[in-house]
Amino acid sequence: MNMKNIKQLISLLLLMIGAVSLTSCQDEVMTTHTYRAMVPIFLEMSDIRAKTITVAPPQELDNPGKIYLYGDYLLINEPTKGIHILDNTNPANPVNKNFIPIEGNVDLAVNSNILYADNYVDLLAFDISNINNITLVKRVEDVFTHMYRHDTGQIITFRDSVITTDNAFRGCANCEFFTMNGSVGFAANFSAAAQSYGTGGSMARFTLSSGHLYAVDESTMRVFDVRDAKDPKFVKPIDLGWGIETIFPFQNKLFIGSNRGMHIYDASTPGSPTRMAVYEHLVACDPVVVNEDFAFVTLRSGNLCVNNINQLQVVNIEDPYKPYLMKSYPMLNPHGLGLSEDNLYIAEGKHGLKSFKVSDVMTIDQNQMEFLESMKSVDIIPGPKSLIVIGPDGVCQFDYSTPSKLVKLSCIDVKNPVTVQ
Amino acid sequence: MKVQLLVLVIFFSFVQSVFGQGKAYYNQTEFGVLFGKKTDSWDGQSENRVDLSILTFHGAKISKNQVIGISVGLDQYDWISVFPIAFGWRGFLGKANKPQLIGGFDMGGGFALLEKKEKTEWYESRYQGGLLLSPSIGMKFPSKKGKKTSLTMSLAYKRQELGFFQGFFEFNPTPRPFTSTSLPPGYSSITETSYLFHSLVARIGFIF
Repeated sequence: MNMKNIKQLISLLLLMIGAVSLTSCQDEVMTTHTYRAMVPIFLEMSDIRAKTITVAPPQELDNPGKIYLYGDYLLINEPTKGIHILDNTNPANPVNKNFIPIEGNVDLAVNSNILYADNYVDLLAFDISNINNITLVKRVEDVFTHMYRHDTGQIITFRDSVITTDNAFRGCANCEFFTMNGSVGFAANFSAAAQSYGTGGSMARFTLSSGHLYAVDESTMRVFDVRDAKDPKFVKPIDLGWGIETIFPFQNKLFIGSNRGMHIYDASTPGSPTRMAVYEHLVACDPVVVNEDFAFVTLRSGNLCVNNINQLQVVNIEDPYKPYLMKSYPMLNPHGLGLSEDNLYIAEGKHGLKSFKVSDVMTIDQNQMEFLESMKSVDIIPGPKSLIVIGPDGVCQFDYSTPSKLVKLSCIDVKNPVTVQ
Repeated sequence: MKVQLLVLVIFFSFVQSVFGQGKAYYNQTEFGVLFGKKTDSWDGQSENRVDLSILTFHGAKISKNQVIGISVGLDQYDWISVFPIAFGWRGFLGKANKPQLIGGFDMGGGFALLEKKEKTEWYESRYQGGLLLSPSIGMKFPSKKGKKTSLTMSLAYKRQELGFFQGFFEFNPTPRPFTSTSLPPGYSSITETSYLFHSLVARIGFIF
């Protein structure tokens, strides 16, 4: 090949390059954005009330919320869907008995064979004395009114959804913010639905004390007179301030955990609790358990209440008007906690489960009994027969008759268990 | 630093091929330019994409006019550096020691190894490699003095897929996953971007 040929070839190549680059296919970029969002749903309460609630056969636990222990029964809430009832006569082998479908249900409590459950804006009372014949005995209407849109009889609720969009956020510099906002909205709403695990658990939002039912939402405590168990009467709402998370009753007092601190209410007049004190700390999420002299509070980081604090705090409440911090202990990532006599069990999230002897609150760190690193957990309920631990393995029960040595009895399979990071 | 390292590796494989060649061994190392056309910007304008491409093919003769082997290299697509690794075939048409037509086909994957995986408390992001297809056509011009080294010029079409994943972690205190296949557990949102680059590659190089 001579120089001429080469030149010809080069010019041919250049021509081809030019031609192809001008007409060639363009690059293709496809972006899909998948996120969780709360999709608003509008419902007429009259429609919901018109539906008959029929107890259904047992259903697999999908995504359990609160857990409530009553006698030999375990009542497990399926957020916004209803309540599973399990026979826990033998904690080593709990038997799923039936399911009460209750729309909008997130919380429950049981008093003298009467189950209280929320149904959007209403409070329902079921007679569960015969587990095979559960009947609705009372509906208290229009009590959880925060769900109402003011001008109509409509309620607004939100359904957890996963949305995928194509190119919706293309070129958007602040996509993360939209995302995070979605997540915040989601978490705030979901926290009401699924993060607490019933009475006995430190993250409950419905609780019974002195013939009264107390229900807390983000900002309000609602008081019901249930001295006649079958006929709950709404007494009044009490404004608490924002960020309310949990409620724990102890000896005529209510200990209300918020993301800013712990409120102590005197419930010696059960129909009208009055505030005794607010123990404030930095913003963090904090379940509370209490004995006569001390409140045990966990603070943790890594969630919305972001503060790089992972602590167990011991608050002296001998004088409930003047609570003060006795001592704080560093923890790994404490979630819920449970107190049984002098034994404190702490769910350390992905780090496991710890148990401490707390007879001397000044030396808790020196009295660790066990640290089960494999038992990832988010909440703990010390029951009469077993210690119930909620975590990624589902709902597990331990024999804790020897408090320092937990023995696993059973785990109830859950389709969508909690994940801990 | 990593780019320099790669250039060194390619250089040494090049050097090694000069001294370590056997009769059956075939090496073709080329440098060139990738031409492409970017997606339309928001105002409908389209820009061209012109970037560097390096390719070194190591193969063995399976017949008089055919070679199979592995090609590696470096392709720059705008801001993303991609390492292509592919199985390749080269066929020759024409008399030995005369200019020959070379046909080639490479199929493999491209990997954005230089793009850092990011992981913070809030999110993680990473590039994901993708399929690579590249048919090519070129000319081989034997050098006049040496008998083994030849000059090559080639033109190729290169189809490179790539992915980008960004996931924001769930910050719900006790997150519960959805029964959703589209959102993996542990994330509150994910953004997935798939890129498909169509390029015309003009390269010049040597066969040893």
